[in-house]
Amino acid sequence: MGIDTDSDTDVEGDKDKDGDGDGDGSTDTDADVDTDRSSGRTDDRQNVPITGDELLETFPRARSRESDDVSILELPGRDASAVPNAEVLRPELADPLDDDLYTHQAAALRALGRGENVCVATSTASGKTRIYALQIARHYLDARARGDGTDATAYVCYPTKALSRDQERELNDFYDTLGLDISVRVYDGDTERGDTRRHIREEADVIITNFAGVNTYLHDHDRWARFLSACELVVVDESHTYTGVHGMHVAWIVRRLKRVLEYYDADPQFVLTSATIGNPGAHSSSLVGEPVTVVDEDGSPTGPRELVLWNPPPQAREESDEEHASGSSGDETPADGGEDAITDRVPATVEAPKLLSHLAYHDAQTLLFTPSRKLAELSVKRASKHRRDRSRYYANPDRGSAIEPYHAGHSRRNRHGTEHRLKTGLLDGVASTNALELGINVGEMDATVQLGYPGQRQSFWQQLGRAGRGTKRALSVLVAGHRTLDQYVVNNPDYLLETDVEDAVVDTENDAVFARHLLCAADELALDESDGSAAGFADRDRLERAVEMWRRAGRLAGYLETGVSYTGPPRPQGSISLYATTGEEYAVELAEGVDERHDPEMEPLAEERVLRDFHEGAVRLHEGKQYEVCAVDHTTPRPSVTLRPTDVDYYTRTRTDVTVLDAVSEESRDIGSVRLHFGRGRVLVYHGTYDKVAVHGGQKKERMIPTENPPLSMETQLCWLEVPDRVETALVEKYREFSVPELDGGLAETAHLGYAGGLHAAEHATIGVAPLELMVDKRDLGGLATLSIDSHLATATENGETDARENANATPQNIAAAEATVREIASELEHEPASGWFIYDGIDGGLGFSRAIYENFEAVAARARDLIADCDCGHIDGCPACVMDDQCGNNNRPLHRDAAVDVLDQVLGNADVDDLEPYLPDDEFGGDRRPPLFYA
Amino acid sequence: MGLRFRRAIHFHPGVQTVFIPARLPPTTTMAGRTGARVLALPPETVLKHPVATLRDIDATLDPDAVWVLGRSREPTAAARVRHTVDAPVIHPPLETGDDPLSRRSIGDELAFAVARSASALRAGDGIRSASDRNEDEREVDALICDDIATTTRPTALETSLDHAAELAAALPTGRTTTVLSGGLPAGYDERWHVNAETGTVRTVEHDPLLSPDSVANDCVAVRVRGAGPVDGYGGPNAVVELEFAADGLVSSTAHAASDFGLEAISGIGPKTAGRLAECGVTTRSELLETPVAALADIEGIGPKGARRMHRYATVLETGEPRRVGDASLPGEHWSTPPLCLDIETDGLSPTIIWQIGVYDPSTDTYRAFVERDDPADRASVLRAFCDWLLGVHPNRALLTWNGWGFDYRHLGAFVARHCPAYAAEWESIPKFDLYLWADGDDNALLPGRTNELDVVAAELGYDGAATGLDGARTAAAYQRFMRTGDESELDWDRHEAYCEDDCRALWHVYERLRDAPQVSVSAGSSASGTASSSSTAEQASGEQTGLGDF
Repeated sequence: MGIDTDSDTDVEGDKDKDGDGDGDGSTDTDADVDTDRSSGRTDDRQNVPITGDELLETFPRARSRESDDVSILELPGRDASAVPNAEVLRPELADPLDDDLYTHQAAALRALGRGENVCVATSTASGKTRIYALQIARHYLDARARGDGTDATAYVCYPTKALSRDQERELNDFYDTLGLDISVRVYDGDTERGDTRRHIREEADVIITNFAGVNTYLHDHDRWARFLSACELVVVDESHTYTGVHGMHVAWIVRRLKRVLEYYDADPQFVLTSATIGNPGAHSSSLVGEPVTVVDEDGSPTGPRELVLWNPPPQAREESDEEHASGSSGDETPADGGEDAITDRVPATVEAPKLLSHLAYHDAQTLLFTPSRKLAELSVKRASKHRRDRSRYYANPDRGSAIEPYHAGHSRRNRHGTEHRLKTGLLDGVASTNALELGINVGEMDATVQLGYPGQRQSFWQQLGRAGRGTKRALSVLVAGHRTLDQYVVNNPDYLLETDVEDAVVDTENDAVFARHLLCAADELALDESDGSAAGFADRDRLERAVEMWRRAGRLAGYLETGVSYTGPPRPQGSISLYATTGEEYAVELAEGVDERHDPEMEPLAEERVLRDFHEGAVRLHEGKQYEVCAVDHTTPRPSVTLRPTDVDYYTRTRTDVTVLDAVSEESRDIGSVRLHFGRGRVLVYHGTYDKVAVHGGQKKERMIPTENPPLSMETQLCWLEVPDRVETALVEKYREFSVPELDGGLAETAHLGYAGGLHAAEHATIGVAPLELMVDKRDLGGLATLSIDSHLATATENGETDARENANATPQNIAAAEATVREIASELEHEPASGWFIYDGIDGGLGFSRAIYENFEAVAARARDLIADCDCGHIDGCPACVMDDQCGNNNRPLHRDAAVDVLDQVLGNADVDDLEPYLPDDEFGGDRRPPLFYA
Repeated sequence: MGLRFRRAIHFHPGVQTVFIPARLPPTTTMAGRTGARVLALPPETVLKHPVATLRDIDATLDPDAVWVLGRSREPTAAARVRHTVDAPVIHPPLETGDDPLSRRSIGDELAFAVARSASALRAGDGIRSASDRNEDEREVDALICDDIATTTRPTALETSLDHAAELAAALPTGRTTTVLSGGLPAGYDERWHVNAETGTVRTVEHDPLLSPDSVANDCVAVRVRGAGPVDGYGGPNAVVELEFAADGLVSSTAHAASDFGLEAISGIGPKTAGRLAECGVTTRSELLETPVAALADIEGIGPKGARRMHRYATVLETGEPRRVGDASLPGEHWSTPPLCLDIETDGLSPTIIWQIGVYDPSTDTYRAFVERDDPADRASVLRAFCDWLLGVHPNRALLTWNGWGFDYRHLGAFVARHCPAYAAEWESIPKFDLYLWADGDDNALLPGRTNELDVVAAELGYDGAATGLDGARTAAAYQRFMRTGDESELDWDRHEAYCEDDCRALWHVYERLRDAPQVSVSAGSSASGTASSSSTAEQASGEQTGLGDF
């Protein structure tokens, strides 16, 4: 498979960058900090107005559904477990508080009292904010008691600006309740420049910001001297959102902040709050570079909940047409509308709004979570249309019909209005992006509906937590989409109930990201030997290598003994993009002569993105408007993409070819009968051609149009496995009858094709299910299945050192040349190569994802095996829900599910090599000569 | 400390002085050569700006030769310069002659080898040391090759030298050759040791002034020096002035092309310059000859803009400053004048303030506080300065040039950190910033192509001590002292003279502004008092750097 290109992602994906909403985030913080926990809704019903069974009873046509299409799970509630305030808090703090502390709050405050760093990883609405709010209050009182005029300040970082504003209010209210004069101020890109900013820097006790802000403000740390010198607490709220590329940047920004704090003799504690993740301790320590005490025994109460897993019914003809018509508004993902998709069920995008409408009709205040802003808007319309279409059933059309959309695209005032109407019960339902998964205070809902599985368990539970807070009973419905993960989840409900959740991956090994932050660090304070010590910025060797690199490039000057300072263009902080590894970003410009009002106002694009989605001729959808890319300028230092608005009946989809070269193994281990490796190498990605795909019906109008793109070359981290010879030989025999008649290149009849299809399918599946175990974005992973792993490895030189080939630095300019290179290496091999597949990080320098997969391979392989074996598509080459991938560079051919299951059984030890004995040919060396095939 | 800033109002890119230390040890010493000046210009800069601007660059910088940078042929740019400038023009891709490495002599004393491209290095005979050649033929001072650049691969933490193999093949072994390239920014100066046989890099020296490694016999040493544009706050500073002295390249200075010609007048950008040119106005004197009323009719200028342009053009042409509005100079009405202050550090992210100079205009005395012994001692100089200032002059104000951009900021941070006992007193001392008052607050128009103190002061008739130093040079010299602990690294008297010179230059500018004529102010000028409190100063300095987001 290639790197996923979801043509819908730019609608939301780019917006994520503005950090004011739909980012992948979640929180529990709303209102908990406030002592008054009563909601604005006055009725105190203990039960939701409609149960899961009643939903099945009443929903139109639901009674005739296949029984295994809908399952209802009963989740028990949990009683509160509390500790009297006075046991933990001094009287000034304990007395004004009405509610006791939950046990986890008490445990965290005790650890903080001992001077430890703490990560609180508990459920939604468990009152995590109160923990750091109280610790800030303790520091404030201590400072007041010192009486020497010194302050105690706290730096609080939230993932989004919207959340910052919300929490500023909540914290100020909380300190009013405590009767403490602690000033809490937001300081971010929206804060008025000049006097306002200066006053905040010079006077605020608590400054709320985000990490993009911290990155910028460190440049002028002398202006922050008062605040930083007095800093006793740094809060990283929603810390689980910092994973992948973003997480790496945040980890380095925290390290730069610590350097500057140390310069001002400040040594603050860290508090991290996190959704429930698999590895809160390891993740937190990676982020802040210090040991962190984990508090995850949740003492807050929850009510019982019914969880309905709802696989939409088979598609009726007319509904299919309706769906395609609505696809013209461009909000559907290609997976829903693409020609390869098997859309035999009603899409979740159509079914979920109906459920929202239905639940609201039955008096359950309902929150629908949608994956995009456009879908939030559309769902409200569809909910209302559902009423009209079923006017006989919904006799009173106005009942429960106050339903509104909510997302970060709306003005702040508008959103506040919606929040308020939700809280006061004026609204019956809201369709929202994950902007409301974040901890904005909207009171508690009766029910939630999820339009598709949100991708991760922690996010899934976070959204569910929006309904039935406290001990109230709640109803939650997950409407499954066509995607691999959705189908896996509804078919394996146990997965959701397992106690362990995904590990969050943050990696500081990426040298490209490290090197950029090193320039910023040198600009902030000269680098010296202390930066290369054990507790320093980086280990000595890495520091020296990076300093040497930048000195040779003329960007740093001086020596570590006496101080290394920055000498490049002003403000290196400005070139840090928190979502890319290299600084080189493409500006998005409007074509000359086009009216300014058409300006898409898009954020700059990373190179990977430009090559994939913004080649010349590409048609992109942005905020519901179509744009055509009319020019791409790759010349540094100011590359750009030029767009003009357009109105055509197609979108474009890029074809992707991939190969791996010069991989070097750094670690390996045996698992089952295969050998697993982790290492580094070069991945070449060719977005060489693209197709024009009709918006209506998904027909390809034009194929294989050249993009004129240069190849994308990445030095990255990889994980790969080698299947042992005997297993391969047996499986080749077992599946040698398999053929793919339409396959190009005369390979349709190759004996190895069935086995190769198995590797290819197993590769797709392992990547597809990786998000079930790890907080990784599938789009940041790529893979390559190959019959000759060795052709993709660096060859050993005579002196025994592994080294790239002589012309290693020459990048093959197209996939044909790359294939030729691989064939050439294959022909020079002196031994029979091993077969297997690679999984790589699709970001220059790597993200730590492949490493995490290497370490958790058994779990990932087990999920992949179940996914393939349990899929009821009935096709040997699978379906989009199991092994097909809509971004496969080889058009999902060949794929072989049974062969994939056999391979994975070998990995998992489910089967022994000897089990394959019957398939081994009598003549052990008589196999066909293998072709050096590889499939992305 | 040398300052890097520019006309603030429009955030033009400004001047950047980059110190390139002299070649040491001189591999060959050629006596008698002084002050040859070569101008390096990228073709884009040549083509983008009107001929009149090129003429102004020529008139102002008076080069002995112009090098039109080029990895590719840009005949139009080269022709444009030839047509405009009265000095020899070098454009490597268009160099003629049979030898791919042509030889160009500039005047009597300067000679370059010019490579059309990196591949030409392999094709030619290479550059031989003097002994290899006919005694009559003097060796060249440097090789010009615009293909020489560096490539950084952050994922491997490596920076490589492009075409190292070609250089290894062409250059003499066992000694150092200077290579000039427009492919690297002005100020780039690293000595690469390359294995002559294989072209692999053996080591790189970062401070060629400091005990240079000897060059192995199987190596070529390449002192690579940049002549290309330097990125600044407002864009690239692309006009690079290379100064050669008897012992080689001494310094390079990168100017913004918009500091020349009509664009030097604040309010005139490329668009307006184009419109003015359509009306026949291409130089500042032509602008002054055009009535304000006629200028005001040009699209996008208007009466107010026209008056402002005229005023500014007058200041630039006459070299006489003007005060705008009736705001008094900072401290003008105090009974005693402010103390003129200047500090020296070890770099732009300073780890030490090692020299604090104060000139007292009321007694015409100068006082310097210098850390000569222990560069690890950050506190002594500060303490001595504070003792003296607060003890002897408790009621005086301080005056600096861009102090809120540099001196006050770092002094404040260092006092708070190293002499916390004085922090509160330091805060309360009135601090003036003459640059901020004049330029940031629009209270005066200053002559001079840039806002650097030495440029403005020289334009106003200040006869400086000509120490040949600037902030970056003194910083580099002190860094060497810190590294070696060898006091002889510094010519202390010269560095103290430099600091004193800046303090006195500041007072000269102050006096000239005090006596400058006032022009009536049009509405909207922010002639509010002076920057006597840190708050307004800080705010304004934020605006002055044009980088609001801190």
